[in-house]
Amino acid sequence: MRVSSPAARQLGLVACVACELVSVPAGPEDPGYCPRCGERLAFRRQRSLQIASALLIAAAICYVPANVLPVLTTTTLGSTEDDTILGGVMLLYNSGSWPLALIVLVASVMIPLGKIAALAYLLMAVQRGGVREGNDQARLYHIVETIGRWSMLDVFVDAYTVALVQLQPMISVAPGPGILFFAAVVVLTMLAAEYFDPRLIWDAAEEGKRIHGS
Amino acid sequence: MARKPLDEVPRATVVRRKRGRLSVVWIIPILAAAVAIGIAIQRLAAEGPTITMVFAAGDGIEAGKTLVKYRDVNIGQVTAVQLVDGYTKVRVTAKIVKTAAGIMVDDTKFWVVGPHIGLTGVSGLGMLLSGNYIGVQAGSSDRSRREFIGLDVAPRVVGLKGRRFVLNAPVLGSLGVGAPVYYRGLPVGEVESYHLATNRKSFEIGVFIVSPNDTDVHPDSRFWNASGIDLTIGENGLDVRTASLLALLAGGLSFDTPDFASTTDPVREGTAFTLYGDRATAMKQPDPFAQRYVLLFNEAVRGLSVGAPVTLMGLTVGEVTEVGLAFDPKTLAVHPRVFISFFPERTIAHFGPDQQPAVRSNTELDEQKNIRLLRRLIIERGMRARLQSGNLLTGQRYVAFEFLPDSPKPLIDWTVRPLELPVAPGQLADMEAKLASILDKIDRMPLAAMGDRAAAALKTLDQTLHDAGSALQHLDADTIPEIKKALEDLRQVLEGANATLLGRDAPGQQELRGALQEVTRAARSLRGLADYLESHPEALIRGKSKETK
Repeated sequence: MRVSSPAARQLGLVACVACELVSVPAGPEDPGYCPRCGERLAFRRQRSLQIASALLIAAAICYVPANVLPVLTTTTLGSTEDDTILGGVMLLYNSGSWPLALIVLVASVMIPLGKIAALAYLLMAVQRGGVREGNDQARLYHIVETIGRWSMLDVFVDAYTVALVQLQPMISVAPGPGILFFAAVVVLTMLAAEYFDPRLIWDAAEEGKRIHGS
Repeated sequence: MARKPLDEVPRATVVRRKRGRLSVVWIIPILAAAVAIGIAIQRLAAEGPTITMVFAAGDGIEAGKTLVKYRDVNIGQVTAVQLVDGYTKVRVTAKIVKTAAGIMVDDTKFWVVGPHIGLTGVSGLGMLLSGNYIGVQAGSSDRSRREFIGLDVAPRVVGLKGRRFVLNAPVLGSLGVGAPVYYRGLPVGEVESYHLATNRKSFEIGVFIVSPNDTDVHPDSRFWNASGIDLTIGENGLDVRTASLLALLAGGLSFDTPDFASTTDPVREGTAFTLYGDRATAMKQPDPFAQRYVLLFNEAVRGLSVGAPVTLMGLTVGEVTEVGLAFDPKTLAVHPRVFISFFPERTIAHFGPDQQPAVRSNTELDEQKNIRLLRRLIIERGMRARLQSGNLLTGQRYVAFEFLPDSPKPLIDWTVRPLELPVAPGQLADMEAKLASILDKIDRMPLAAMGDRAAAALKTLDQTLHDAGSALQHLDADTIPEIKKALEDLRQVLEGANATLLGRDAPGQQELRGALQEVTRAARSLRGLADYLESHPEALIRGKSKETK
């Protein structure tokens, strides 16, 4: 058990979410603006949990059509083929290139799903007060935030493929509706992670300590 | 009751406190849910039925790739291919678009379509690249269905109006699926299928006749095999017939309706017909009123086979139905016994229209009348059956009825059935008999006496010739010197004449020469005149001009 560090709020200070400068708030109700970067200061992001939850639920909803609907429509000499993300993974695996299949599987299926699950866990943990230490949760949050920017891989691949593979009338590739939902999943989870205020983790840990602790 | 300081009690506010209002952000998940549900509903609404078809083999069907096509339009896609029934069959699951759901009824047929290269044509080359597809033939039933048994052999004719018929054939021959069906040489359909009948002894051949020629199939129509080369050696000699080149290679059928057909109504679909081996057999009139007779010949019937024609004055009126032997225990005589069928209908058809009723009234059905006519023909007109050689090369023989008024009156039991008709020796046998009688006559000639007489005559002739010889000798000695002398005199006379008329100084010669010289001179002056006249034609009128001098 580590010694708990006091939160800025407990010391009567406020941290800027943009430049992380700790400053003395202008007043107890309205902390004012950051003296360094001009960002509006807040002890805690307003309705952080609500907005993050809403975005996360939207992302979870979009995740279903993103995987069910085709992301690519390939037309080869008259025969049309629709490929979903998982279908593409199976195709790559069946054609022998399992490393590639693994990359697509991790980047396009597991990471979005993991992000949704991680954020859902964080939101629930903060709300329910199931946080003991706060360190694990904080690390999880940082992983989610870091990974988020790599999740658009599929969308890029799709865009490149559609732009490059246009050999009319032999082969032509068109984007499917699934890719829009996939992009929405990525954007929504990134926004949810952004709106989630990580300081709440420490608040929850503090509260948990007060209840369970000595 | 302890009094609590008032400042610890929360004070009511004048302004209504703002409730923690719901964030606008919740619109995003609601919107996302609405779009997702909208798409789901749209998909479900467009979702057609899922059907399964069981095939004997996969034939290049791939899940997620193979299409289901109706009239060359995509109506679905294969979603799964599995082995079923202990790995003996392939079950193909396909999703059909909603608009084509109505096609999936009880009698809808499915089959795998692949590229086809055959004698009758090349089709579906596009499938070499795009893969096979599942063809559909819509049924006419009203009851919808989702599970089907696929056809192993694709129906050959899809989407064409016409009628299907079944032909029963003892052997398949060179027929194949796709073999053309001809009507008077016009291709009007084709063989769709064939399989052994349930009795395992004949084939049931399914043919499809395309509209409008399907109405040319009548209840009395005959189908025959037109494939290959039809080579017959019959009593008519060698007969070679071939159909079109295609039929030669791929086999083919023909059909036609004989002239004697009673009705020309189009026939119901699915009607069964017999497939005949060739046109002649097929178009033969069925002879319902065949009358059977027996002939007992007195000569060998080698070359006479069942089916050989029976002719009357050279026209076919029946056929041989059985060839056997008859034995008479009393006389120990063995005769060839030949059963023949006489076809009155065909016989009547040989007569002119004006005579047909008269012939018909005497031959048809009424046995008594028939016998009476036969009796008169045999007794009064000498009608006899005899064996004839149809073809000396092949030895084929037939039975001919001829009228031989000179033949002896036969003994006929008119009550026996089948009636035995009298026979006459055949041409060959007849010839043999004549030859024998000639030889017999030669044999009976007094050849020895004739020889003696001939020797005497020769002796006389010899004497005559000798006399002629001596007469000639006499002539040689006396007459020839006299002739020689006369010739000498004649030559002297001719020589004298020659000297007088043609000798060098003969007077005739002198005069002739002088005359000729005169003529030459005259001719020369005439030429001078002619020359002058040519250059001076005016001299004829004016006389010779002085200038010309």
